[in-house]
Amino acid sequence: MIATLFYNPITLSFESELWLLLPLCAAVGLVYKTIRVENISHLLKEFVLLLLYMAFGLVVLCTLLWLIDTYWPGSAWFS
Amino acid sequence: MTKRKETSVLPALAVLLACAIPGAGHIYLGRVGRGLIIFLTISALFWSGMAIGGVLTVDSQQEKWWFAAQMLTGANGLVAWQLEKRAYQDLQQDLQKDAQGRSLEDRMVDKKIALVAPAETVARAYSGVAGLINLMCIFDVLMLSLMGVRGEPSPEKKRAKRRSEKDVETKS
Repeated sequence: MIATLFYNPITLSFESELWLLLPLCAAVGLVYKTIRVENISHLLKEFVLLLLYMAFGLVVLCTLLWLIDTYWPGSAWFS
Repeated sequence: MTKRKETSVLPALAVLLACAIPGAGHIYLGRVGRGLIIFLTISALFWSGMAIGGVLTVDSQQEKWWFAAQMLTGANGLVAWQLEKRAYQDLQQDLQKDAQGRSLEDRMVDKKIALVAPAETVARAYSGVAGLINLMCIFDVLMLSLMGVRGEPSPEKKRAKRRSEKDVETKS
């Protein structure tokens, strides 16, 4: 099982692979806060806060890109 | 609890350890908890990428930039590279035996190890970003060791810092 797990690719059954950005953000945020936080006991709080900021930023970015894609002259919406 | 001491540390050794095993540099500097978190997070991210993409996630022949990033995970990357090398050797042996003259790509598809989108993108992003995060940790270890910092910041220093911050607030 483990041999095939790391040998053959697995089929992604998500409707949108954008959801897979969340674990990536979590890993980046956790390591960043681990090396930056002054007191290690505050790590969890700081990490959750950073993750929320990152998720919010991604949502804003996605919304902006969607708006540009939908309403920009020459896009599918205008034609 | 470990106390912060201004003792001499070897920056080269700290960086070497951080390159070899993620988090080992921090453990050498006395930051055991942080080192373990770094090790677990980077390893988990890298091997998640490997699980999604399979053995050809680390591809030293086709994806050189991703490969460079993946090798920054140290031992994790080296193990994955060995797996990839072995897979390519098996493919080459199969090709030599194959009388039909099929290409390497066809053999990859036959063996179900060919990496295609979206698994390709996700797998390489996970494993490559794991390496880049370790680069950040290596840089942190280098800075800490150059400053001669060992262990966690002491509570006295934290209190002094908080006091000075309060002073600044009251003055303003």
